[in-house]
Parts: sequence; C-alpha cells; structure tokens
Amino acid sequence: MSSYCSLAYLGLFLPIVMVLYQLTPQKHRWKALLAASYLFFWTISGKLVMFLIFSTCSIHHFGLWMTLVQEEKKGKLAEAEKSEKKQIKGVYQRKLRGIVTLAVLLHIGVLVVLKYSTFFGTNLNTLLAACKVSFRLPIPSFILPIGISFYTMQAVSYLFDVYRGTIRADRNLGRLALYMSFFPQIMEGPICRYSDTATQLWSCEKISYHNMTMGMQRIAFGLMKKIVIADRLNLFIKNVFTNHASYDGGVIAVAMVCYTCQLYMEFSGTIDVVIGSAEIFGIKMPENFRQPFFSKTISEFWTRWHITLGAWFRDYVFYPLSMSKPLKHMTVSARKHLGNHFGPLVAGSIALFVVWICNGLWHGAGWFYIFFGLYHFGLILLGNMFGPLFKTTAEKLHIDRNKWYYRGIQIIRTAILVNIGELFFRSNGLRVGLTMFKKMVTNFSFASIKSRQILTLGIDKYDVLILAVSILLVFAVSVMRERGIGIRTAIARQNIVVRWAFYYGLILFIVIFGAYGKGYVPIDPIYANF
Amino acid sequence: MKEKYKFIIKPILFVAILCMLLIFFSFLFAPKNNIEEAGIHMVNANGILGEREHTIDVLVVGDSESYSAISPMEMWQRYGFTSYVCGTILQPLLLSERFIERTFEAQSPTVVILETNTIFRETTLSQDIESKLESYFSVFQYHNRWKDLSGYDFFREPRYTWTDDSKGYICNAYIKPATAAGYMAYTDKVEKIPETNQAYLKNIIDLCRDNNAELVLLSTPSTVNWNYKRHNAIENFANEYGVKYLDMNLIADEIAIDWSVDTRDAGDHVNYTGSVKVSAYLGQYLKEEYDLPDHREDPAYSSWHDAMEGYIVHVEEEKEARAAARK
Amino acid sequence: MNELIEILEEIQPEVDYETCTDLIDGHYLDSLSILSLVAELEDAFDITIPTVEIIPSNFNSAEKIWSMIVRLQEEE
Repeated sequence: MSSYCSLAYLGLFLPIVMVLYQLTPQKHRWKALLAASYLFFWTISGKLVMFLIFSTCSIHHFGLWMTLVQEEKKGKLAEAEKSEKKQIKGVYQRKLRGIVTLAVLLHIGVLVVLKYSTFFGTNLNTLLAACKVSFRLPIPSFILPIGISFYTMQAVSYLFDVYRGTIRADRNLGRLALYMSFFPQIMEGPICRYSDTATQLWSCEKISYHNMTMGMQRIAFGLMKKIVIADRLNLFIKNVFTNHASYDGGVIAVAMVCYTCQLYMEFSGTIDVVIGSAEIFGIKMPENFRQPFFSKTISEFWTRWHITLGAWFRDYVFYPLSMSKPLKHMTVSARKHLGNHFGPLVAGSIALFVVWICNGLWHGAGWFYIFFGLYHFGLILLGNMFGPLFKTTAEKLHIDRNKWYYRGIQIIRTAILVNIGELFFRSNGLRVGLTMFKKMVTNFSFASIKSRQILTLGIDKYDVLILAVSILLVFAVSVMRERGIGIRTAIARQNIVVRWAFYYGLILFIVIFGAYGKGYVPIDPIYANF
Repeated sequence: MKEKYKFIIKPILFVAILCMLLIFFSFLFAPKNNIEEAGIHMVNANGILGEREHTIDVLVVGDSESYSAISPMEMWQRYGFTSYVCGTILQPLLLSERFIERTFEAQSPTVVILETNTIFRETTLSQDIESKLESYFSVFQYHNRWKDLSGYDFFREPRYTWTDDSKGYICNAYIKPATAAGYMAYTDKVEKIPETNQAYLKNIIDLCRDNNAELVLLSTPSTVNWNYKRHNAIENFANEYGVKYLDMNLIADEIAIDWSVDTRDAGDHVNYTGSVKVSAYLGQYLKEEYDLPDHREDPAYSSWHDAMEGYIVHVEEEKEARAAARK
Repeated sequence: MNELIEILEEIQPEVDYETCTDLIDGHYLDSLSILSLVAELEDAFDITIPTVEIIPSNFNSAEKIWSMIVRLQEEE
C-alpha cells in the first residue's frame, strides 16, 4: 500500500473499509475509521506508529493543560479589580505562551531530529573541516514514519489554535487521534485544521449513495491524472534529468515543462484520490489546489498550489512573526520613512524570508530545497518591489491591466518562473540545476533529438498524442472550475445512460491509456517523502 | 427497498456491464498470434501456445533459473519425451500458477516442475491484484497495444502458429566463474516462505492433483540464490504436502557442475555447458521416476526432429558469438 | 467607515470596496497588503489587532473589516 493510487489501496483496502464502516453501528464507526487508519499506517511504517501515538497523546495533554490555565485565568479575572486585570492577563499570557512553546518545540524537535539531523550533521562537519578542526560529529540517520511532515503540521496547528482560543481543546482522545491519523490524508496531506475535519470525522454519517458516487468520480479523475499523464511522462523526464549532459537546452526546457506538469498531475491527482476517498465517508477536506497555473503572480500561485501548506505558513509563521512587537514597530517607523507601499515590506520581507526558508526545508533536507524556497522568496519580494513600477508604466502606456492579453502575459510569466523553480527542485543538486539552467538559456536548440533515435527519449508519437488529449481534458475541467462550473454536478443532472457512459468512458480511458505494466516505470509518490 | 436498489442492485449492474466491456476490450487487445510482431509478451514462454494439443509430457515453470538450466531439447535427444519451459524473468509464483493453469487447458503433462527460486520472491499486494486482473481480463496486460491496433484485431480469434525450437530454453554460453566453496554448508535453520507464496503453492499442488499431474519442486544449481536454509524450507514444505523435491545443489558433484566453467554470471545462473549437465541428469531422473514415453520414432512428433536441427544451429551460433567476443 | 475605505484605497486602489466581498479569496489583498492595512488600522482606530483576527472571513469585505474594528474597539 505504498500509494493511494495503488490497486491494494483502491481495490482492496478502501472498499473493505467502506463495507465495514457501513455495517458498523454509527456509535462505533469512529473506531472502525481509527482502526483502519492505524492499520494503514502500520502496513507502511510498522512500529514507527509509536511516533504518531506520541504526537497524538501529547497534543491531547497540552491542549487540556492550556484550557485549564485559560479557565483559571477567566476565574481570576472575574474576581479581580479592574486595576489588576491587566497584570493578571499578563501573567497568564506568559504562562500560556510557555506551554505552547514547550509543546510546539517538542513536535518540531522530533521532526527536526528525525528529518534533518543527517543534513545538519554533514554540514556542520564540512564547516568543522573548513575551520581545520579535527573533531567530527557522528552522523545519525533515521527512518521517517510516513507522513510525519504532514501530521506534525496538523499537531502544531491544533496547539496554536487552542492557544489562541479559536478552538477549544478536545477532551476526547479518540477524536483527536482520528483527526491526526485519518488514513486518506496521513501520507500526503492536505494539511487539515482541527476545525476543518475533527467534527466531521467524529459524526460518522452513513455513506450516502450521492457521496459515494461523487467520491468515486473524483478518485477516477485523480487516477487519470496520475496514471495516464504523470506516469507516462516519467521515462522521458528521468532520461533527460539523468543524462542532461547529452541533451541541448531545448530538450531540457521541454523536460522542465514536463516535470512541472508531472509534479502537478501526480500531486493534485493523488490529492483528488485523497479528497474523493474522504468524500465517500461524507468528509469535506480543504482543497489543496485551485488551478495554480492560472495565477498572475507568484504570491497568487502559492495561494493556489499546495494551498494548505501555504496557509499553514501564513497563519502560524508569517502573521505571528510580522505582527510580533519588534517587527510591528519596524513597520510603523518604516512607513513613516518609506511610505505606505514599501514601509510594511521591510518587516514583511523578514517574515517572508523565514517562511520560505522553512518552506524549502519542509520539502527536504538539502541545499537545493533551501534554494528553491529562497528563489520563491526572491520572486515574491521583487514582485512587491516592482509592483508599483509596473502599474505606473502600464498607466503611462495606456495599457488596460484587466485586458485578457495583459493577464495572459502575467499568467505565462508566472508559469515560466514556476517552471524554472521546479527545474532546481528536480535536479537533485544545486550545481546540476545551475548547469541545466545555463544550458537552457545559452544553447536553446533541439539538435540532439535529430542525432539520436527518438525512441531513446522514452516517449513516442502515440504517447505525445495521448498526453495532449489528456492534458487538454484536465485543462478543460480546470477552466470550468475556474468559472465555477462543477463538472460532477453537471454530470449528475444527466440521465442514467449518459452518466454511466461517461463513467465507463473514464474507467476504460484509464485502463487502456494508463502508463502501467510492461515497459513503464511508475513514479513513487513524490510528496509522500516530504 | 430503495436503499437496497442503490447499494446492491445498481453497483452489481454497474460492475457487470464493466466486466462485459472489459471482456470485449480484452478480446480486442489480445495479440492475435504468439509472435513478437503480434505484440505478445514473454515470447519464449508463450511458444507453448503453438504446440499441438496434448503433446507435452513435462511442463517447467519458474524464473530465469528455469530457462537457463533446463533445456528440453537435450532431454528429447537423450530420452525422447517432450517438455517445455514456461520460464520468465523474475517470474513471481502467481505467474507460475497462471502458466500451469493455462497449460492444462491445451496440454496434459504427466509432470509439472516448479523451479523453487521463485518461491522466495515476495510480491506486493498490488502486484497480486494486478496479476489476478490480468488473468481474468487480458486488457490489463495488453492495453498498450492501442498503439498498433488494426481493423484485423476486431474480427480475428487469436491463432497461435509459432513454436520455439529451444522449447522455452534460453541459451547463454558466456562464462564468468564462481567461487562456490561452502555455499551449501549445512544448517538446521529454516528460511521463511512468504505467507502469500505458501497459499499459491497450495493452489499449484491442488491444480496439479486435479489434472493428474505430478508436481516436482526442483532447485537448479545456483551459488547465489540457494543455500541450506532455503533447502530446509522447501524440504519441509514438500514433506508436509507430499510432493517430490529434488535439490540439485546438494548433488552438484554427481551432476558434475564445475563452477569455474558452468556459470555465466558468477554462480547466479548456469550457462550452456551447465544446462547440458543439468538437463542430462534431470532427463534421466524423470525417465526413471515417471516412465515417460519415448516419441522419437513416432511420426506424429516429427516436428521435434526439425526443432532439434534448429536448436543445434542456434546453440552453435551462440557459442561462436561468445568465442568471437572473447577474441 | 469612510475613513476605512480611504485607507483601503490608499493600499490597493483597483477595487470597488463598496461591492467587493472576496478581497482575500479573490487575491485583491495579499499578505503584505494585509500588513500595511493592519498597521494603518491600528494607527487610525487606536486598536490592537491580534494575529487570531487575521483570517479571511474578517477581511473579505470592507463591511467585515469595519465590524471587526467596532468589535475590537468595544473589547478594549
């Protein structure tokens, strides 16, 4: 069960859980879901399930502790004189802050030790060597429990939300455990908030026919993206990225675009399977993608791509940091000197810098991931610095910024910038990425294709054809979604013959045109390793 | 009632129609002959489809060990019974089962030999399901033929016309010596046979019983893949279920395997010379144990004499190519 | 309320604040604009806006922002 798109999950695990869930009386359904979730975790990570249990128990405990303090504070405040109130508030605020800091550090600490100690250790040793110190740190390496990067984020968001008072701490350990471990989302997100899913998960409504068909359609569409498109691109991308020295810039550019496409299809396709699975059980998860390639700016892109991750960093790193006292002072004084646009940029960019370092590191322990984060940080910063300049230039040239061609140019520009970022993301090393990028810019030609057999590219004309058709299909669905047309509800309105014909069409499309079996190497889930 | 319709009748109907569609597409995508140009996979192993019905006395299944070590034509030449190797690279046990099952549809072998290396090859649950799907609906195996489908495919039933002169054996005359000392050192430890494979093995035993074929578990010589722990595991299993087990690794001296010349990849597989020795021994063993018929004088089997000529040419070519490469 | 609209227009002039109800979800205000806005609002209305309040539902329209300001003023 290494992936949500595997037959073991879709053909066996999910249907069995569905049947058992439906047969269990409502009161006990949460147990069925929880058992299924832990079984799922166990089949992939075995004994490492201890980490998940530890995280769950600890947020349960810390949450209740914070509630206790908050109630005590309320009681004291009610009794207190008006003059004392401020002091009491301060005392309890410090106490609460202490608790939440301890709890969050504990979770982030476990993640950092497991995920980053090899990276930090190696770099420290390099540093020691550079300083001519003969001492070397022993470098540990750990096996990561599956989904730790995702469920840790969920745990931390729960702690912060309780601390801020947006949610009440949950006394019910079972509900929290379900929130942390729900099997469709444990491996690749979306990163849910407690307020998003916990209550829904607990209510355990009966599977309705409507939810079941809706969920299955979404799963099928996600499978199409993954198996027909992403897997079909795999050989070609692998080939170019491993033998990049023997291809010219043009081919590298094509491979770069293909990789971005693959990443999107793989990740959003898997998320479709995830959200579809949850939908079957009547659980609405937050969306993780909203047609990201229609973004006009990089910062908009990050509100449409891996949305739950961006939102997490925004709510739990960016705002708290930029609203903290020192940075707030900085904003106020900078605004006096630099004006309304550039003033907040000073403090904002410090917070953004931290966000993007974290974002890069979250994706993996490696310099090129940090570079990937900083690349996007730089782009967003530049966008903000030159925003007014573009605006005034456009006004002077009498260009209407709402016209389709202006927006078109913006969209294409953003897409190109994103693509370049993904090139570094895939290239497995900063130096390799730079070499490939340089080649792409200085030597943009396709000569190497002519001199080689097209077969060696790992893709033939039929593959290109089917890719074009399926990508168009996804594009059409995206346009519809962008315009607010729900394709599934549109199908649901048709009569049964049309509806079923559509379902069979989609299933057979996947069965026949899927890139599986002899001659294909499916990609491992890209985001499960983060 | 409405609930029942929605959750039971409708889904069943949906799946039934889906199965019908899959059957149609399986027919459409099925290769119409057992040759590479027709798009069939595992060409050597599928050569058995072209053999005349009920003419194969011994069926061999297994992974690369099987088609490297067992040469049916060597046994034919010496003893006159017919055999075929349905061996494929990295063959999982469930594929062995499929080959046996399918062969029983057209052939009635007296003996079925299972090369034991595949028994220790673990498969994932997803692979198992995929293989099951492939066995019911070949569209899952041959879906990629949409790239070279023609109008012909809509009307023709498959007709298998090709037979392999080597009968599934793949000749390799390369020599890369092995140091074999002590690879079969005695131990009473037992390696575990993966649970799912135990189940497949039981299926295979039942399958052979139902078709009146004797199952023989055979471990061909391999210093890389075989050891005493595995020997013990298979022996225990064979005793428990009353099937024959022959481990050639224990009698390598008797077979006269010389690991300095008889292997092509440092002990992983035997090469041509090794396979001649293995086949000679195995042929005699089968002949004695199962009293297999000698068809060499039977005019109905004249095609095997033609195959023999082809086989000899093929082996000579392989030997020359290797000799040329060495120079 | 008029003061609020003025502040908003200074930060992002291309929106009709009387009618727009998806300032955040429609990407009219990005996170840096929010920073300016918060600093400006705290100044103009003498309030402190805690991080908890910075959620889309509080900032999606001028009206929503206004009701948040009123609420925070009362709490002071």
